[in-house]
Amino acid sequence: MKSKLIIAIAAMGVAVLFSSCAKVPQAEVDAATAAIQEVKDAGADLYVPEAYNALVDSMKAANEKIEVAKAKWFPNYTKAKATLAWVSQNAVDTKAKSEARKVELKAEVEAMIVEVKALVEENKALIAKAPKGKEGREALEAIKSDVAVAETTVTEVEALLANGDLIGSNDKIKAAKEKATAIKAELEEAIAKKGGKK
Amino acid sequence: MVFGKKKKIKWIIVILLSVVFIATIASIIIVSQKDLPTEDLRLAREAISLAKEAEANLYSEKLYKESLQMYDSAMVNWSRENNRFILFRDYTRVINFAKKSKKKADDSKEESIKKADNLSKNVEAAFVSLGKKIELYNKLFKDLPLSKSIFDAHNKSKMFLSESKIAHQTGKLKEAEVLFKKADIYINHANTAASQMLRGYFNDYSKWKNLANDAIAASRGGNKVILVDKVAHVLYVYQAGKAIRSFEAEFGPNWMAHKERNGDKATPEGNYRITKKKERGNTIYHKALLLDYPNEDDRRQFAIKKKKGLLQRSAGIGSLIEIHGNGGKGFNWTSGCVGLRDRDIDELYRLVSSGTLVTIVGSIEPLSVVTKGLDF
Repeated sequence: MKSKLIIAIAAMGVAVLFSSCAKVPQAEVDAATAAIQEVKDAGADLYVPEAYNALVDSMKAANEKIEVAKAKWFPNYTKAKATLAWVSQNAVDTKAKSEARKVELKAEVEAMIVEVKALVEENKALIAKAPKGKEGREALEAIKSDVAVAETTVTEVEALLANGDLIGSNDKIKAAKEKATAIKAELEEAIAKKGGKK
Repeated sequence: MVFGKKKKIKWIIVILLSVVFIATIASIIIVSQKDLPTEDLRLAREAISLAKEAEANLYSEKLYKESLQMYDSAMVNWSRENNRFILFRDYTRVINFAKKSKKKADDSKEESIKKADNLSKNVEAAFVSLGKKIELYNKLFKDLPLSKSIFDAHNKSKMFLSESKIAHQTGKLKEAEVLFKKADIYINHANTAASQMLRGYFNDYSKWKNLANDAIAASRGGNKVILVDKVAHVLYVYQAGKAIRSFEAEFGPNWMAHKERNGDKATPEGNYRITKKKERGNTIYHKALLLDYPNEDDRRQFAIKKKKGLLQRSAGIGSLIEIHGNGGKGFNWTSGCVGLRDRDIDELYRLVSSGTLVTIVGSIEPLSVVTKGLDF
């Protein structure tokens, strides 16, 4: 009876000893940290900021869970590991989303470049047809200069795109499109008025 | 004897293990009663997340960074405390850092919202102000013979304004502000250069006024007098002190200058006389009224400028300044002559004769009237 008691107490002691030696899931922490860095390098903080911020937030939560576990006599890292696994898995998804958004944005910008170039050419053709009436050539010269600015912007956008600045090029090409569309409307209106007078 | 010793050792082990067991249980109870910083850290993290959502990293950068630093300090201290023996752990510093982090994050969020709101309002106000400047340019300067750099500056300004508006619409307020500032620099350059040009041109206004008054006075005797207002692009025929006819006129591309030499595409200013009336067939411009440019004053000024080296040695004073037809093109296309529509030159041709006084001035009206009182 006494020897059984001794064995039980000794087993408990061993259990306590082993339990308190449960290790921090460093491999999982490193993997999740590296995954987040990879996602950031893929531009996720710019292209899918909400998903990226969620990852960073979850990583923080995982670190907190690790400390919560460490603070206990019997550390249990199951919850922390689950969060770290979520981070690693979602990092893959977020990176894919970021890459997809980049492809999408690039296609949008490239399509708009084509559109603006076409608008610039249309505007040049319309300038030739535009009346030199009331406001005269000065007005047309101003429009020509406006068209030239839109044309220059397209060149700038192409340079930005080549440098991988998709967001900057997207904003700039939108402005150029707006400008070229407005010029076209102005010229078409002037030509229509001229036609109406005849 | 041996049996008794073994028994004794067993009892010692039992007692020691019991002590360890009781100490462990006691430690667990003590530790479990200690305040862990879990909740404070969670609150700090959530506050940071909300601050980031409110773009505090952009609009309240200092406070936001401090909140992150406090959070990191809390985590470092928490980890450090956890590495100490369980009974000696103290999370007070961790909790303090976490609370400070939360406070800073909350403050940064609040500051960010305020600043973003103010920035948005400022940018919107700036759009209005910039719009007014562009409107001013369109009203006052657009039709002036401006240099290409002024033209381009104005158009670049409009492009930057468009980009700024797009950035504003997508909530990129800082970017909108940067773009707006660029637009403002360009429009200010364009408007300043154009207004300097206009003001500089009107430095001669008192001279023009005297010339115009003299011309009108000369018409009081019953003679017809032609008075040309370059800024208004109008040719008046005066008789008995009253304008009896007026025609739209066009000039050379460099009309906002007094003619100084041949080929400068400027229209001369001063008193001239019609020296010859050219019927159809004698001119390629439908009909023409040849003026006596250069007059005595023009020759004197030309000689002075040449002497001072203000004109090239090879420069000639120019000639053959006329009032002629083929006009109505809607722009300033002549080589310095005054262009009228064919029907208008027909009428003028009938109204005036050789020797008629032709006074050409920059403007009959002062700058304040020409600019309709606009502040520029």
